[in-house]
Amino acid sequence: MPELLKLDNVSINFGGLTAVDGLNMTLTKGNIRALIGPNGAGKSTIFNLVTGIYAPSMGKIFFQDQIINKLSPHIITSMGIARTFQNIRLFSNLSVIDNVKIGHHCRSGGSFIGALLRTLATKKEEALIQKRALDCLALMELTDKAEELAGNLSYGEQRRLEIARALATKPALLCLDEPAAGMNPIEKEKLANIIRKIKHMGITIFLVEHDMKFVMNLAERVTVLDYGKKITSGTPAEVQHNPAVIEAYLGKEVI
Amino acid sequence: MDSLLTNFISPYYIKVFTLVGIYIIIALGLNFISGVTGQLSFGHAAFVSIGAYTAAILTTRWQLPFLPSLLAGGLLAAVVGILFGFPILRLTGDYLGIATLGFGEIVIVIFQNMEITGGTIGLSGIAKHSSFTLVVIIVIFTIWSMYRMQSSRFGRALMAIREDEIAANVMGINTTAYKIQSFGIGSFFAGIGGGLYAHTIQYLNPTDFGFARSFDYLTFVVLGGLGSIPGTVLGTTILTLAPEFLRFVAEYRMMIYGALMVIMMIFRPRGLLGGVNLTKTIRTLKKQKKTPLPGDV
Repeated sequence: MPELLKLDNVSINFGGLTAVDGLNMTLTKGNIRALIGPNGAGKSTIFNLVTGIYAPSMGKIFFQDQIINKLSPHIITSMGIARTFQNIRLFSNLSVIDNVKIGHHCRSGGSFIGALLRTLATKKEEALIQKRALDCLALMELTDKAEELAGNLSYGEQRRLEIARALATKPALLCLDEPAAGMNPIEKEKLANIIRKIKHMGITIFLVEHDMKFVMNLAERVTVLDYGKKITSGTPAEVQHNPAVIEAYLGKEVI
Repeated sequence: MDSLLTNFISPYYIKVFTLVGIYIIIALGLNFISGVTGQLSFGHAAFVSIGAYTAAILTTRWQLPFLPSLLAGGLLAAVVGILFGFPILRLTGDYLGIATLGFGEIVIVIFQNMEITGGTIGLSGIAKHSSFTLVVIIVIFTIWSMYRMQSSRFGRALMAIREDEIAANVMGINTTAYKIQSFGIGSFFAGIGGGLYAHTIQYLNPTDFGFARSFDYLTFVVLGGLGSIPGTVLGTTILTLAPEFLRFVAEYRMMIYGALMVIMMIFRPRGLLGGVNLTKTIRTLKKQKKTPLPGDV
């Protein structure tokens, strides 16, 4: 299987704190990979490294065999990595459909001059953006909310809109940072089905999630992180029975 | 056209309305930077002054025709905006505000010490090339171009930056490039407004473009509703006309003006038309009229 994303001995320090420490990880194309670990283990930091918000202090990050260490987030996005945020970061004062249209930004052109003259090419492109945005909304079952302000949506809907917006960038790799947080069991089940659907579209999924049931049902491989270090990596069943993982989550048995 | 208008309105009011128009152009430029893109600017009057001086010097000293001079003033303001934008648009929020404030002061000091601008004495003897009609035409053009830019891929990118810069960047928008473009476009309209101002007032002094003026423009935009084009037009009109129509209360004029602003901000904290989508509101109003209530039958 071809590898899509590879982290080679990646570390990052914030002052004296090493948030991620010598991490090696490889994501296979077309898989769902979960990243779990206790609070503060460095999961979100890894997402920030992969999407270019932080640059690693050490090590290399490869995406489709290209080093993406020092690239800006918008370039990484245009290469095919999209993400959602743990603490929802929608454009809350814009409409739902505009949020998704903005996601399509890096897949379209058109400057302010085109906007002023409203040329045929601009009109065509705008129609294409509209269609693509509606497709993404339909996939996330948000079509009837298209004209509402993003900030007025319910929590679960906002999470789904974040995924719709990320999908509009036409990613090869989709990083989901706690997508099920704050959802009820029914919403979670729906979300799991949507994620499977996205996987079948050929998009690789990188998932951070606290809900173990959700992760174990969905992921093909799980990597466990604690204090910025990888404890183990394997199938959900392997990981669940690993003593080191149990220790990280529950503590060591004292006799 | 203007001579026709003087039959109905006194020249004094024509001049007042011409100034309202000019301020609308300038304020819409600032609205583009601060309201649409969300970049706080306290130095907008400096860009106005660049346009004003450039156009005035070109028409008075070099005897160039008015319209090309006006355009040159706008373009130079845009170029300065872009060059200045490169280093400072890495700053955000209040820090950006302070940097633009500093920039505004620098520009004034430069104009005070240049010979070609007449230094502290100012630049006089500017011909009156602008007219109410011309200003109205340019106002319409400005509003039209603002609408087109805002409702496009370009405008959406700017609004995304205003809403959440990090998210915008991660969604594939080159935030620095877009902020600089926004600054350039906003400054262009400031420069055009400045050129019109110079050829209406016919006298320029650097102190007329100090930070107090910049704050005036910001007040127009904030009071009208940041990011709203009709809001900016309304805010500018009200605040420019208020001192004129409050003349009857003589010395209490500025006090009432101040109180008016405080009251408006308490009742409409997001500005008069902030968060109001006019086309949507009109549409729903029309719908309400069409569908009769059950009790009406």
